[in-house]
Amino acid sequence: MLTNRKSLWWLLGPPVVYLAALPVANRVEPVVFGLPFLMFWLVVATLLSPLFVWLAAKGDPVWAAARRAERAQADKQ
Amino acid sequence: MNNAAVSIGILALFLVAAVVLGIRAARGQDKVDLAEWSVGGRSLGIVMTLVLMAGETYTSFSYLGAAGWSYTYGASGLYLVAYLSIGMAVSYLVGPLLWGYAHRHGLHNITDLVAHRFAAPWLGAVVAVVATVFLLPYIQLQITGMGTVVASVSYGAIGLGLSYLVAFLISEVFILASGLRGSAWVSVLKDITVVVTLAVVFVYVPMKFFGGYGGLMNRLITERPAWLTLPGPKGDTYGMAWFISTALLNGAVYSVLPTSVAGFLGARSAQTLRRNAMILPFYQLLLFIPVLLGMAATFVVPGLKNSNLAMFEMIRAEMPAWLLGVIGAAGALSAIVPMAVFMLVIGTMWSRSILGRHPRTAAHQRPLAQLVTLGAGVVALGMTFLFPNVLVRLSVISYEGIAQLLPLVVLALLWRRMSMVGAVIGMCVGIAIVLALVITGNDPWSGINAGAIGLVANLAVTFVATLVRPDNPPDDRMPVPEFDTGLPRSVTAGSRPDGDL
Repeated sequence: MLTNRKSLWWLLGPPVVYLAALPVANRVEPVVFGLPFLMFWLVVATLLSPLFVWLAAKGDPVWAAARRAERAQADKQ
Repeated sequence: MNNAAVSIGILALFLVAAVVLGIRAARGQDKVDLAEWSVGGRSLGIVMTLVLMAGETYTSFSYLGAAGWSYTYGASGLYLVAYLSIGMAVSYLVGPLLWGYAHRHGLHNITDLVAHRFAAPWLGAVVAVVATVFLLPYIQLQITGMGTVVASVSYGAIGLGLSYLVAFLISEVFILASGLRGSAWVSVLKDITVVVTLAVVFVYVPMKFFGGYGGLMNRLITERPAWLTLPGPKGDTYGMAWFISTALLNGAVYSVLPTSVAGFLGARSAQTLRRNAMILPFYQLLLFIPVLLGMAATFVVPGLKNSNLAMFEMIRAEMPAWLLGVIGAAGALSAIVPMAVFMLVIGTMWSRSILGRHPRTAAHQRPLAQLVTLGAGVVALGMTFLFPNVLVRLSVISYEGIAQLLPLVVLALLWRRMSMVGAVIGMCVGIAIVLALVITGNDPWSGINAGAIGLVANLAVTFVATLVRPDNPPDDRMPVPEFDTGLPRSVTAGSRPDGDL
């Protein structure tokens, strides 16, 4: 189930950016784009999360196999 | 026409539209097959899966509760955003895992999945009871949320009791008629209404009360700095340790919540779920709006007794009645959709794992599921009237209780030798710890989410028991380690791992 799927390590990205960064990000200053820093950081983390999942999928042989199977089926129709 | 009549009229229009949409979804459905009703015939494409999963996660708690939370406790309310994004990442792996296993063996939710994995029907029944105990409070929370919204947008003309009843009736009607697919269709209406109204309010409130977005942020930064960081203005309860432990725990639990699982199993393919995991996190951006608005409300309507009304009270006096009606409709639909799915999964679990087990009842699983769906709603409604506070208090621990099912549902599919007895004892220990900490007022304990503490103990028991006496189930009880392509299988798995992680 998990063998040869090294790219799944990217799925640890969201917990790391949201949580491991908290001790540093838990502050009001500096204000970025009008947002207090903690809120700005959480917005950044929210935008990065889908990117991490995308990176996980990009290197995932299961994703690639499923894509190939989908294309093969689309060709048949 | 007076204001109340206008906003009630608009609200009623949306609710009627929801019922019509929900019932229309039943057209062309098979009327006998349980899977057609319970998991939408396992046929939902990426758009409907996205809409349904968004519809389930964005509950009336997100709409009202997030604003109310940040009004009282500040930025710690953003744990919602953190756990949902983490939950989506987890679901990239766990969603397809559960989908593949359920698809292969014709399973409908976590209870028959556990029963099948361990060849133990009794365990499915136990899980159904445990899950129901922790889900019922969530239904009641939605009924209460709906009541609050309706009473507020009707300017008090409609009482709480009547709005509770309306919430119950509407969600039962469409969920009984068309099941999971009906919820997906009502979610379409709900998501559009929620996105549009939040955007309007997000533009309107800063302009109206603070001379613009910059004005609001400046006042927050200068006058409410305590609200903008953890642990917030009310002391240490919701500090950094709580935020981290809760986001991790809820993020892990998200994929075994029976409602999420129903959404997973409704998908057409495993690949749909992987795409869903990639796209849905963007939806979390919406949650920043109620959190900010809740903080804004500390200036506009300070000292509210019921903080859940923070957003509505702030806009009620200033907005035209028709717009308040639309906003109320968004709030009401946010209660109705998740509530309907919660009732559906309780019905499905009881039918599959308790009532429909007997050879004589097995042919009637669909009507049995619908009967329990109705019964669950009746119980939650009755509890709302009789003991309004008991269940709301319990709903706080819904996630913490369901978390204790993680080893039995997910770990069991990844770890062949995991001891069933160990995981069952672990579950009991975990639940006992959660209940003990919550009842004695120790949640969070030393700043850490009680469910996380329970889960650590639960896992420890499971691991030790497995070391002492590992199980050795036959291969066909484990998921096949093929590429879960989600399409007709042509390749059978070659070599199997020996059951280790």
